[in-house]
Amino acid sequence: MIDFIDVAVGTGGGVACERCHGSAMPAEYMATSELLGLITRAVADSRTVPGPNLALTGPEPFGHPDLPSLVAAAVDAGVSRLRIDTDASALRSQDNAAGVLAAGVRHFRFSLLGGSAGLHDVLAGAPGALDATLTGLDVLRGEVRAQGVTSCLSALVPICRHNLHDLPAIAAVAVEAGANAVLLRVDDPGCDLAAAVPWMTAACDTGVVNGVWAEIEGVPFCLAPDHALHVSDVLRARSGAKAPACRDCRLDELCGGGPVDASGDLLAVLAPPARAGDLAGAVSRARGSVGHDA
Amino acid sequence: MPETPLRCAMLALNSVGYRSLALGYLRAYAESDRKLAGRVAFQTLDLEVGLDPWWVAWRVLGLEPDVLGISVTCWNARAVYDVCRLVGAVRPECAIVLGGPEVGPIAAEVLAGHPEVHAVVRGEGEVTFAELLRAICAGGKAWRVDGLCVRKGQEIVSTPDRGLIEDLDSIPSPHLAGLIEALDGGAYLETYRGCPHRCAYCFEGKGYGRIRSFSDARIAAEIDALAGAPHVGSFSFIDPVFNLTPERLRTLCGMLVPHAAAGLRLHTIEVDIERIDDESAGLLRDAGVASVETGPQTVGKAALETCHRPFHADRFARGVEALRGAGISCECDLIVGIPGDDAYDFLAGLRLCLSLDPGVVQSSTLHVLPGTELWERAAELGLEFDREPPHEVIATSGVTFRDLRRAEVLASAVQRAYRARL
Ligand code: SF4
Ligand code: SF4
Repeated sequence: MIDFIDVAVGTGGGVACERCHGSAMPAEYMATSELLGLITRAVADSRTVPGPNLALTGPEPFGHPDLPSLVAAAVDAGVSRLRIDTDASALRSQDNAAGVLAAGVRHFRFSLLGGSAGLHDVLAGAPGALDATLTGLDVLRGEVRAQGVTSCLSALVPICRHNLHDLPAIAAVAVEAGANAVLLRVDDPGCDLAAAVPWMTAACDTGVVNGVWAEIEGVPFCLAPDHALHVSDVLRARSGAKAPACRDCRLDELCGGGPVDASGDLLAVLAPPARAGDLAGAVSRARGSVGHDA
Repeated sequence: MPETPLRCAMLALNSVGYRSLALGYLRAYAESDRKLAGRVAFQTLDLEVGLDPWWVAWRVLGLEPDVLGISVTCWNARAVYDVCRLVGAVRPECAIVLGGPEVGPIAAEVLAGHPEVHAVVRGEGEVTFAELLRAICAGGKAWRVDGLCVRKGQEIVSTPDRGLIEDLDSIPSPHLAGLIEALDGGAYLETYRGCPHRCAYCFEGKGYGRIRSFSDARIAAEIDALAGAPHVGSFSFIDPVFNLTPERLRTLCGMLVPHAAAGLRLHTIEVDIERIDDESAGLLRDAGVASVETGPQTVGKAALETCHRPFHADRFARGVEALRGAGISCECDLIVGIPGDDAYDFLAGLRLCLSLDPGVVQSSTLHVLPGTELWERAAELGLEFDREPPHEVIATSGVTFRDLRRAEVLASAVQRAYRARL
C-alpha cells in the first residue's frame, strides 16, 4: 500500500532462479553521474502519497562503487522512504549495516528462492548464498536495535515451478529472518497457477499465523477467493479495467477483471465473497479458455 | 487506645511508563474525607501490566492490606483477576474491591465469577469508594453504600445507582496533592468527564453521560504543577475531545502557551479533527501540541451508522492538512471489525489514512466493552466476541475470523512500513 519508485543501479546480476532464467548476466553498473540525475528527478517528480519513496534495485546495489553518494542524493532530494533491494550479503559487515542505516535507508528487501540452503543456493546458482543472506540480515537487525530506528524488512519470493512446493517453508524462513512482509511474485510464465495457488496460500497462512503479512502478485483474485485479501490487485486497488494477472482471461462477462472500478474505489465485483467463489468455479470450469493457465 | 488504622492498598497495572490517574483521584478523595482521617492508611502500588501476577501479589501481600482496591480495564483485567485469586487465597480476610469501566457495567457477573472479590464499584468511584471505607471502618454493612455490587452473605446485592459527581472540583487534585509521580511523557490531565459523542463501541459517552468540567482555576493549577515538575518536558490530556468548543480550546491553549514557550510539549491530544481549521491548528501549535490522535476508526458507511459516528472525508482531510501545516503530527486510528464493515471497508480506511500522510496510522482490533452499545446489541448485530477480557472481536457478519486476523497482520505490516521513514 506504500509505493516505491524503482531505480535500477545497472543491469544484470540479481537473485533469480537459474533454471528458469539461466545464469545471471554479470552486473554492469550505471555511471554515478547518470544515476544521480535519475534519482533526483525520480524524487522530484514523485506524486506518491505517502512519499516520495525510492528503491535502489537492479544488480546488487552494494556492488555499486558510489552507493553512499546515491543514498545521499536521494536523501538530499527529499526522499521519505528509501529501500535497498539486496541479497544482504554485504550487510555481514557491521560497518555496511551501520553506515546504510545512518545514511537514512530504512527499508530492505531481500530475495528468497528456497526455504533451505539446498534449494535456495541451487536455484540461485551460488553456494552459501542463503547463509550469507541470513547472516547479513542478522547483523542488520542488531544494528537497527543499536541505532533505535524503525526499519522495515521484506522478503521477495520469485515463484517458479522449481520452488512452488517450498513456498510455506520459504515464508517460514522469511519470518525467522525478521521480515515484516513477504511478497510472493509469480516469475514463471509456464507455472500452472491453479496448481501453484494452494502453495501460495499456505505460505500466506504461514506468514499470518506468525504475524507476518504475505502478498501474492501475478495471480488473479478469482483463483484464491478465500485469500483474496492477500492478492496484490485487491490490496493495491490499481485502477484500470484488468489487473495484469487477468490479461488473457475470457471471462469478462462474469468479471470486470479486477477488484477496482475506475475511481479506484473498492469494489463492486469482489466485495461479496460468494461472488468471488463463483468466479473461482467458473475459472476452473473454463480453464481451457483462461490464458493465464497456459 | 487509638484504633489501628485500616490498611488500604490501591493497585493499578498500567501501561509501561504511566501512572494511574484513577487511583490518584480515589485516594485524593478518600484522604480528604474527614470521617476517614486517621482511620485509614493508604498505600498505592502503581505497577506495570506486564508483571507476573505472582510478583504483584507478593508486593500486595507485603503490605498486609485489610482492603485492596484495584482499578480494572479491559487490557489489565486478566492479570488483575490472577492477582485477586492469589491474594484471596493467602489473605482471605482482605476485602478486595474492584472498580473501573471493565467491571462496573457487569458488576454482578464479575462477583459471580470471582468469589475472592468482595465488592465492585459501579460508575464513578470516588464517593462510593470513600463511603465503602467508612462502612468497613464502622464494621461492615457495605450493602448500605450506593453504587456498589457487593456480597451480603451468600447473596450478591446491587445497591441503588449513585448519581454523577456534580462538582468535579470536590475531588482534590492528585497532582496538586503529590499523589501521582509526575513522569516525563507519562503524566496526563483530565479537564472534564463525559463526551459529546455516543460511539457504540465506547463507554465514555454512554457511561459518564453529560459533560462536567473541572473549573478553569483547577485546570490551570494542575497544568502549572505538572509543567513545573522537575524533569517533565511533556505530558498529555485524556479528554476525549480536546477541542470541545472553540472557546474552551482558546482557554486551554491560553493556559498552556507560557509553558510551551518554555519548551513544554503535549503528545497524543485527542481532537475532533473535522473541526480543526488553520486557526485551531495554530492555537494547538502555540500551546506546544506536538501530536494529536483522532479517528476515523472506520470509513465504511454502514459501520459509521451503527456506531453513530459522523465522518466527512473532505473535512477530515482538511483537518489533517491544517495540523500538518502547523507542524503537528496526527495519529489516524482505525478499528478492525466494527459491525457493518467488511474487510474491504477496512482496506479503504487504511488507504485513506495513508493518502493523507498524517504522521502515524494506527489500527487496533475492536474490543466489545462491557456496558457499551455494541456489547448490548452484539447478538442482533451478528457480532461474535470473546466474553473474557480484553473482549476482542472474533468474527462479524461481514468479516470472517480469518479475514479479521489477516486484516490485523496486514495493518501492522503497513503501519511499520509507513513508520520506517526519514
Ligand atoms: S475471472 Fe478472469 S478477469 Fe476475473 S479475476 Fe479471474 S482471471 Fe481476472
Ligand atoms: S470514542 Fe471518543 S468520541 Fe466516541 S464516545 Fe468515546 S470518547 Fe467520545
